[in-house]
This record gives sequence, C-alpha cells and structure tokens, in this order.
Amino acid sequence: MGTQHVITMLPGEGTGPEICEAVRLIIDASGVNIKWEYEDIGLDCLEKHGTLLPDKTIQNIAKNKVAIKGPTTTPVGTGHKSANVTLRKVFDLYANVRPAKLIPVLKRPWDKIDIINFRENTEDSYAAIEHMVSDEVAQCLKVITWPGSYRIADFAFKWAKANGRKKIYCVHKANIMKMTDGLFLDAFREVAQKYPDIESGDIIVDNCCMQLVRNPAQFDCLVLPNLYGDILTDLCAGLVGGLGFAPGANVGDGCAIFEAVHGSAPKYAGMKKVNPSAVLISGIMMLRWLKEEAAADRIEKAMFAVLDERKHVTYDVGGTATTDEYAQAIVDKMHAKA
Amino acid sequence: MPTFTEIAKATKKKKEIKLVGIDMYIITDTGIPKFDDIGPFKCEFISNRGTKVWPGFVSPDLLQVNWYRCRFTATKDVQDADVNTFLDALTKKGWWWSAAQKLWTYDGEPGYSKAY
Repeated sequence: MGTQHVITMLPGEGTGPEICEAVRLIIDASGVNIKWEYEDIGLDCLEKHGTLLPDKTIQNIAKNKVAIKGPTTTPVGTGHKSANVTLRKVFDLYANVRPAKLIPVLKRPWDKIDIINFRENTEDSYAAIEHMVSDEVAQCLKVITWPGSYRIADFAFKWAKANGRKKIYCVHKANIMKMTDGLFLDAFREVAQKYPDIESGDIIVDNCCMQLVRNPAQFDCLVLPNLYGDILTDLCAGLVGGLGFAPGANVGDGCAIFEAVHGSAPKYAGMKKVNPSAVLISGIMMLRWLKEEAAADRIEKAMFAVLDERKHVTYDVGGTATTDEYAQAIVDKMHAKA
Repeated sequence: MPTFTEIAKATKKKKEIKLVGIDMYIITDTGIPKFDDIGPFKCEFISNRGTKVWPGFVSPDLLQVNWYRCRFTATKDVQDADVNTFLDALTKKGWWWSAAQKLWTYDGEPGYSKAY
C-alpha cells in the first residue's frame, strides 16, 4: 500500500449515505490507501447539532484538506443557508471545476464533448447580500471583485496548461452589465496575456448557451462567474448524460472538496436504487488530485466496462441493479482486470 | 397575438415596517474593522464578499477585499434620526463608507439576509 491519505467523508442526507458507501467500497478496492473520517453535514444533522454545518465538521476538513461529499438538500426561499455554499465560503473554495465529458456508452446526439468549466464559486449574486429595500422591492447585490476574477481566470489557465488543454473562453454579459461582468472580463483578458500558448476569447452567455446545444464540440474550457456557471454547468451535464454522471470539485488554495452536483433525492432514500456514478466520478477526480492516477484509471476503466455491458446498471440507464450491485460489479471488474 | 381586456394588478398588503439596524459598507485597507458600540447600535457581524469574517472562524486562505459589510443592530427602539446621528459619529471616527442600507423588519420578519 502506498502513502496513506486521510480524507473527510461527508455522506450528506437522503440517498447520500448509501451512495457514499458504494463509492467508498469501490475506492477502497482500487488499491489506494485511504483513512476515512466521517463527519455530519446537511438537514439530517440539524436536529443533532442545531446547524447544517457543525464546527466539528469544519475543523475536520480544515485538518485533512481534502473531503468528498454526498448530496445535501438546500431549503428554498426561507430557512437555513445552504451547507454547500457555506462550505465554499468558509474554506474559500473559489474554483468549481465541472468537467462535462461524453461517456461512450451513453448514447447522445454528439460525437465529442469534452469541456471543463471553471465556475467562480464565491462571488456574484451568491454573496448573500439581499435586502427588502421597501415593502415591494427586493434587492440582491452582485459582487464581482478584481482579485476574485483574476484568481479564477489564473486557476483556469494553470489547470489548462497542466492538462494539455488548448482553448479557454470567458463567458459573460458585459454588453449589459458593463461594470460587474466588465470587470470579470478585464481580469480574464489580463491573465490570458500571461499564457500566450493557450488560445483565449470571450462569448456572451446567451450565445454560449445556444452554441452549446448546437455544437458543443467547439468548446474546450470555459471560465464563468458564479451564476452563469451554476446554470451552464448543469446545461453541460445534460449534454453528456444528466446529473447522474456530473462530477464536481470545489478547490481553494488550501483545501479541495469533491462532490456530485445532483440533489439528495430523499424519496429514494434507503431504497438503494440510485446511480452513484456522479459521486464516483468526483472520487476519481479526487484520486487524480491526490496523484493516485493508477487507482483513478482502474476505477474509470472498470466503470466504463460495467456501463458498457449494461448487465449491472441502475434504473436511470436502463438497468435494474441496485446501487450496491452496480458498485460490486465495478469492484469485480477491477479485480478481474488485475 | 391574444389581446387582454383586463390587465392584472399586483396585490399589495400593507406590512408593519420597523427599523432595526443598518448595514454599513466600509472601505478600508487596514483589515477587518473593529467597532465600539455607537449610540444604540452594536456591531453584530462583519462580512467580506459575503463571507462572515467577524466574529468566529476565518480561513487563513480567505480572499478579502477592501470593502466590508458591517451589520449594526439596534439595542433599543430607534428612529431614522438615530441613523443620521450614527452616520455622523462613524464619519467623525474616520471611517470611509460607500453606502448605508437601513435594515427593516416587515411584520416582524427580517427584510435582510445573513452572511455565510
């Protein structure tokens, strides 16, 4: 066994715990040496701790620097703040990396999609500055800063360079929001000058949506402010097979949290029928982050093989397998190939 | 194109509005501001880019800019004139601020968000 990694496991709620157990089974079987430390997060721990994100969880993540998280539920309209957004804020996880890559066996109308989205994760209208400024007017401040815009652009170019990517586009609406999106675009352009080997450009967000559904193969990497990033990354997930296969990483300078982007599907909780692939692919991203490339490759190949055979796949991709049966099939496939 | 003979008008229910505090947007390059109570207003929290930076845990990696939202809540019943006095006092103490937003409750419900 190689170097031991200590990872915070945040199972979340709803179907999160059963998904995370399946993912743990697979990752442990890949040969990587991980000590898992479980911590609570989400609505289920509200009664237990009086908060969606207990201090103990925060301290554990601060110690380990790497975590993997199952889905959590965010109350709509009223109630508590999102645990996800709080995590991003507390640890300043400013880069939300959301790859959208076509999985060969999932039949889609396109031959190739391989996009990496870099969503700014901490600013924009997510700064939680909202007021009822009269009894009939609500106002939300859209906060875009030069340092925040500069660092997400720089992160994207660094990632692109390290991973052999060729082209980055900045997505914006600076023709209308000239100050806020204009600042985001200016920072992107300044950063782009430091990376002359990578082609750069910009595209207005509405045009980008239209281009994505017409010809997604033209895009390589996209850098987006928070709100456009939230929306377009789900659009990209839809292009490649839905949220069941959409991984994500939230990365800061001192910490990284890997998570699926789908919800906790509470109506399926305990039924062990949901597809754990999104958290699993996030786990594969985590292993690559930990430089455990061989383990990541083993899991990815086994997962593709199981999906390709279609014998042990979950209902959402036309099968009848349980979450555990799908996970065990991936484990068996890894061992068969060993 | 359909034509509409009646145009709906939004309904409006009058609510009881009460002044309970002020969000001050302070510009400073000297780090997280510190405040003593100013008249009937007490600093409840300070946030930067929407993230609470006082009181409590702050990640050493947290990016902060020179613009802080400082929430002052009233410790007793206050009127608009108290806000004017507060702003004068804050300015005299040397604080440079970009904006002030009064905080109201509407039928007892807060008309303002908390910080993360």
